[in-house]
Amino acid sequence: MKPKQFGKAAMLTVVLLALFIGGWEWYWRSKGYETLFDDSDALWADKRAMVYDAPDKSTVFIGSSRIKFDLDIPTWEKITGDKAVQLAMVGSSPLPALYDLGNDEKFGGKLVIDVTEPLFFSNAPPFNKTPKENIEYYKKRTPTQRFSFEVNHFLESNFVFLNREYLSTNALLGKLPLTRRPGVFVFPDFPEPFDRSYFSRQSFMADEFVKDTNLQKQMQANWAMLGEAAKRMPPASAKDLETMFTSAKDAIDKIRSRGGQVLFVRTPSSGPMGEGEKMGFPRDRFWDKLLAVTKTEGVHFADYAETAHFICPEWSHLSPADAITYTKLLIRQLEQKGWVFPHKTATANQSSTSKL
Amino acid sequence: MLFNSYTFIVFFAIMLALHNLPLSWKTKKVNLLLASYIFYAAWNPPFILLLWLSTVIDYFVGRALYNQKDGYQRKLLLVISLVGNLGMLCFFKYGGFLLENFVAVVNALGIDYQPAAPNIILPAGISFYTFTTLCYTIDMYKRKSEPVKSLLDFSLFVTFFPHLVAGPIVRPPQLVPQFETPRTASQQQLLNGLFLLSLGLFMKVVLADGMLAGSADLVFNAATALPTLDAWMGVLAFSGQIFFDFAGYSTCAIGIASCLGFTLPENFRYPYAAIGFSDFWRRWHITLSTWLRDYLYIPLGGNRHGEFRTYTALMLTMLLGGLWHGASWTFVVWGALHGIYLCVERLFRPKPLTPDQIILEAISNKEEAVEPPVITASASFAPAFLRNKGATNFFAALFTFFLVNVTWVFFRASDFPTAGRLLSSMFGNINGGVPVLTTLAILKVSVITVLLVLTHWFMRNTSVLQVAHKLKWWLVGIIWAFMLILLLLSQESSSSFIYFQF
Repeated sequence: MKPKQFGKAAMLTVVLLALFIGGWEWYWRSKGYETLFDDSDALWADKRAMVYDAPDKSTVFIGSSRIKFDLDIPTWEKITGDKAVQLAMVGSSPLPALYDLGNDEKFGGKLVIDVTEPLFFSNAPPFNKTPKENIEYYKKRTPTQRFSFEVNHFLESNFVFLNREYLSTNALLGKLPLTRRPGVFVFPDFPEPFDRSYFSRQSFMADEFVKDTNLQKQMQANWAMLGEAAKRMPPASAKDLETMFTSAKDAIDKIRSRGGQVLFVRTPSSGPMGEGEKMGFPRDRFWDKLLAVTKTEGVHFADYAETAHFICPEWSHLSPADAITYTKLLIRQLEQKGWVFPHKTATANQSSTSKL
Repeated sequence: MLFNSYTFIVFFAIMLALHNLPLSWKTKKVNLLLASYIFYAAWNPPFILLLWLSTVIDYFVGRALYNQKDGYQRKLLLVISLVGNLGMLCFFKYGGFLLENFVAVVNALGIDYQPAAPNIILPAGISFYTFTTLCYTIDMYKRKSEPVKSLLDFSLFVTFFPHLVAGPIVRPPQLVPQFETPRTASQQQLLNGLFLLSLGLFMKVVLADGMLAGSADLVFNAATALPTLDAWMGVLAFSGQIFFDFAGYSTCAIGIASCLGFTLPENFRYPYAAIGFSDFWRRWHITLSTWLRDYLYIPLGGNRHGEFRTYTALMLTMLLGGLWHGASWTFVVWGALHGIYLCVERLFRPKPLTPDQIILEAISNKEEAVEPPVITASASFAPAFLRNKGATNFFAALFTFFLVNVTWVFFRASDFPTAGRLLSSMFGNINGGVPVLTTLAILKVSVITVLLVLTHWFMRNTSVLQVAHKLKWWLVGIIWAFMLILLLLSQESSSSFIYFQF
């Protein structure tokens, strides 16, 4: 082939690529998809770097997926005037992030720790994997990774099909109706409208999910299956739990010694999952003991009349509308615990926050 | 900076633009050198000092070696260079390994010695640029080529960003002359380069990371024994992953250099179509195997001092080649296996013919050539497909591929118990292992492995560019677009290349 013909091949490549991108983008937009952000290690590291920004004007959140869904960041920021730095990680224990912040000499701000008992009070390696990877990524982040992140942010802001979780080759291949191999653990299929993520790392359910009880039932079945799988993992021993409590206390003490404020929060769960958590992790042995050992205040949703009634569509996370209400109530509950937001610009919901 | 990152795409676009501006050749070389330092500093800026140190020492020692008349002084200079280069490599790459083994030995002798674990970070590409500079000083010592005329050219030879971190390992005569005269890419070079860059990224991002890495990781990280199917699929997945990862990097490097008007040596030539292990090493990481041949095997005596010395040199070369890949005994075993395969192959290879035998052979071949094919076929007891030389070779290649896969177990396993567990699983010594791979994973590995082996077989005597230039332009356009579309759809994060750790 002569150079001219190779040039024609290159031109054809460009045309085909442009046509494909246009068509693919149009297809997914027509199916109701919107621009979303991959909740990657790079996005986590971007937020992790924000914990130093004006400590008097920001609050850091660590935990599991619940606080990612239940904290409505725009509501929080509008009412408190504080920036919300969301560092919670899906399906993970917050302890590695707590230790990381505790050991960070530069961090001395406000910290809210979300407690989801099966994840918090477990030392199963899968629950610590993502936190460890994200922390390591943050610590070793190179200038080029930061630059690539910015480019990726621009692209993800403009193209719907850039959705690694649901629209990448592997995600699409994963939907093929293949026979399941007996004995192989396959992570359950989460419906796409269940978990969408903003650039702030706030997760939310799409309207479609909130309205569709079949999708909700699919997620409930997923939780049931994961719950069964979790039962097969060895539970944390009494000694492990003691270590967790004391390590958490050490980290919290370090943050306090630098002028920081720390508080535990237990966000709502309902249905069989809520009941299971209540039975599997009795408050006196876990939540109450955690607060006592670490000498830290806590806000448990079940202790307040206005938050005790929340029903989670799939038992574990709040709908976007409830997340707004819950966020307003959480701010009031934090204020009752003595938290001050000096840059508060609006008043929280006026409903009283009476303890049960 | 990784080739498979957005940052690199922007960096490369700027470099291409700068390189095509009407600037003096010296300015363009300075641009390339600065860009190469930025490329390297993107990992860990302080390590750029090591690169400078290595460059400056070897430039001046190399010149002195070439010009020095006194034999003693020359040997002293060579020792300085070897100690400097290998010392740096030993400290950063093998420091922890040496200490670990020293502790194991003294503990075995009953001495309780427990030093603090060393916290040494391996500078990216140190094994590659050390070999690049080493070959220069050795060549200068042997006066094989002229010293590089300027520090700028020598620095660029060592640091030129396409090959800096993971090769191909270049020799001075391959690259230095290219810096002496102004060059920009012709249209053909630019298009070839862009095509190779697309292919390399496709191999790395789509095939290695997207399709195979997950299965390989699952199998090699499994804490328990596996069913035979899972074990083999994991090893085949790694076999494909390491090829696509490393050959993908080399293809990108060659493509990038071509876009800038430079030519880098070929590093892979369809290795999974190799018939035997000497053929494998003529096709796999060619620039390393030729380096080891020229700077280790031959100085150790090569095949010039009798059979025993030849086998010793072969084994030593492969053991050190294994250790070059990583500071672990598993890599040494990997090298040892390759050494044993090469020795066995050498032992059973046909002896060179005497002149009389050559004449006889020629005559008999002539007779066979005129013999009717049907008679030859009926006179043989072998199955028809095996009487075909191509088929026999194909099965020989498959057998080589099988043996190569066995060696990859030691290369990828983090320790010997893992390797042992996996080998037991592969060869059926396990009852009731726990399956870990899904149907989809098995399908992906199977399809890609079959296509990989067949592609290597049918391409074994050609090159991708030769084939691309023979195809219709529209077909090339479709294939090229297909690769880029899959690259876009895979949405893999920028994971590092496997060979960066070496």
